[in-house]
Amino acid sequence: MSAPFSIAVLVSAGRHPVSGVPRACRGDAVAMAIGHSLAGSALRVLHAGTEDEPSLKDYMAYGAKNIEVVPVREGDDAIAALASVLRGVDVILTGCKAEQGAGSGLLPYLLAEALSRPVIANALEVKIERKDSSFDARIRQFLPKGQRRQIACATPLVIAVHPFAPVSLKYAYARQISGQIEVIPLTNPTCGAPQPDWVLEKAARTRVRLKAQEKKSGHARLLSAIVSEVKGGVVAFEGTTVDKAQVVLNYLREHRLVDF
Amino acid sequence: MTGMKRVDPRRAYRMGSTGLRRIVLGESGAGDAALRFTSNQTDSRAKPLRSSVAATRWHIAVAHAYRGRLDDHAREAIAAAAILAGPEVGVLAVILGAYHENAAELGADKIAIIEDLEASRYEPQREEAVVQSFVEHYAPEHIFMPDNLSGDGDLGRRLIAKQKGVAATHVAEIDAAHVATAWSSGPVLASTPLPGIVLIDAGIVDTNLPFVGAGETVTPPQLPEIAERFRDLGLEPSAAEAIALEEADFIVSAGNGVSEVATLEQLARSLGAAVGASRVAVDEGKFPRSKQIGASGKTVSATTYFAIGISGAVQHLQGIKACRHVIAINRDAGAPIVKRADLTIIADAEELMQALITRVAQAREQTDATEANR
Ligand SMILES: Cc1cc2nc3c(=O)[nH]c(=O)nc-3n(C[C@H](O)[C@H](O)[C@H](O)COP(=O)(O)OP(=O)(O)OC[C@H]3O[C@@H](n4cnc5c(N)ncnc54)[C@H](O)[C@@H]3O)c2cc1C
Repeated sequence: MSAPFSIAVLVSAGRHPVSGVPRACRGDAVAMAIGHSLAGSALRVLHAGTEDEPSLKDYMAYGAKNIEVVPVREGDDAIAALASVLRGVDVILTGCKAEQGAGSGLLPYLLAEALSRPVIANALEVKIERKDSSFDARIRQFLPKGQRRQIACATPLVIAVHPFAPVSLKYAYARQISGQIEVIPLTNPTCGAPQPDWVLEKAARTRVRLKAQEKKSGHARLLSAIVSEVKGGVVAFEGTTVDKAQVVLNYLREHRLVDF
Repeated sequence: MTGMKRVDPRRAYRMGSTGLRRIVLGESGAGDAALRFTSNQTDSRAKPLRSSVAATRWHIAVAHAYRGRLDDHAREAIAAAAILAGPEVGVLAVILGAYHENAAELGADKIAIIEDLEASRYEPQREEAVVQSFVEHYAPEHIFMPDNLSGDGDLGRRLIAKQKGVAATHVAEIDAAHVATAWSSGPVLASTPLPGIVLIDAGIVDTNLPFVGAGETVTPPQLPEIAERFRDLGLEPSAAEAIALEEADFIVSAGNGVSEVATLEQLARSLGAAVGASRVAVDEGKFPRSKQIGASGKTVSATTYFAIGISGAVQHLQGIKACRHVIAINRDAGAPIVKRADLTIIADAEELMQALITRVAQAREQTDATEANR
């Protein structure tokens, strides 16, 4: 099966959150499965990084016959490198969030900006339809609270796939053995948008909530120190059943948990 | 014996949580004048303005409103903008969609409400253009937004990509000097100086502010004529029952104390909630196994969890760790769920459910009537 439009998926180096074992990033594997369902073997699979990345084996097992590696070392601008390779590709699929590092979920947006094309995030299903001389993507988008939205957009575009997308991932060891890795020669690794300098802390700790500093009088401070804060919630014993129902409704309304 | 200090035995006191009298120091007056203010009453005293100086620099907070309200997450973004603002820094809240509450209480000095950018529609390019026009006008030092999946996280990332500045998303800790995010989604944080655009996770800012903002309304700019590259084909209609428990935002959950499953399902429908159950209720065959919540069932992250006739065994509580508001109905005030719940009603489950169904129906009618008049 080959597709009349060109399509590529970007896969990142995944790590198990606890053991740190290299593996396919779930979101990216799902995006790749969607790509395969759209274009079969015409789907290009790209990884920005190094060719000896161990998690690439996993993507092969999930069906990537040939992974193209865009050589990007730490400190290089992956967005610019990917943009130079992907300029002519109609549909670019990505995951929503990397498993390693800050996992900012910015890549699809930055890539779309670099290629000046639209981006749609949190896609659950993707259909590509021919429309006159070009192609139209129809996307079912994930929204919280069980809502779903349908969006259409002309190609070229970038689609970030939500990890809940309903696909079945099939792992085959034979494919892992037969898969190949190819390095794309890059001529000019440029430097692009500034990235924050994340400084990794040494150990896990509890997070501090931001709280407004209160300028209280000494008296008020003393008061708050001697009156222990009530732990646990309110308990309503009294009143008729109707009163109690009202208490529940008041609580729901006060915290804006219902829309009436 | 003049000049001797005497203690007035009837001076002001309040009852402490342990039932002991606590003398209120520095207050004059008799105890039976009952200075028994609760903390709620102190809150309702008029709060001071955050700053009386005219703003020369700005913070902007941007969020979508839903049905005229901002959720907790959006309020946190505005609160962060206000808390981190110095006296000469003003806070502009840009609220997308109709909004009927008072944003001054959230700390906003200026409020711009763009009514026709409802979150239910998909118009990212117009939203971007509107926010961009505010950014150009106010040249904010920092922009704060909630990092959610219902539109703000998307809009924030579009702005970041456009502005090409340094930005942080999924922020798990914030203060005046730095922001931190969970590295590789693990327990260890990585931090960086406070960047230009900050997308915050939920639950990291205390929205109880000791001050208010000036709350001045700004007329929103003329919406730019933009041909969206996206065609919004609309939201799919979805029934609450069909929503997966893991995704549901409101869950009504039944335990051994629920005798009539039909009543519970009716209540869930009237509140627009998904239905869950404890293991005992599932074992009895009242609910399918897929509805079980807890250690051997599903882990849920609903904002509201309504536990009816559930004792709150640890195995059950394990499944609802992430729920923000837990409301319980139980006959027994000593049940462990009472310690976990933010509100517990001591009542018979069946009776209370019936009363609540009636009350909710009335409340819905009233709201519909006022909306129609608006
Ligand atoms: C290995 C293991 C795994 C488990 N995993 C799970 C799990 O995943 N999920 C889970 O839920 N449980 C789990 N359990 C079981 C758990 O320990 C409890 O037994 C179970 O949660 C209790 O369910 P319940 O609260 O519905 O019932 P009960 O403990 O019987 O509590 C019923 C409550 O309803 C109240 N009540 C009774 N009648 C009324 C009335 N008319 N009106 C109002 N209130 C009333 C009672 O006061 C009581 O508090 C597990 C147990 C084990 C050992």
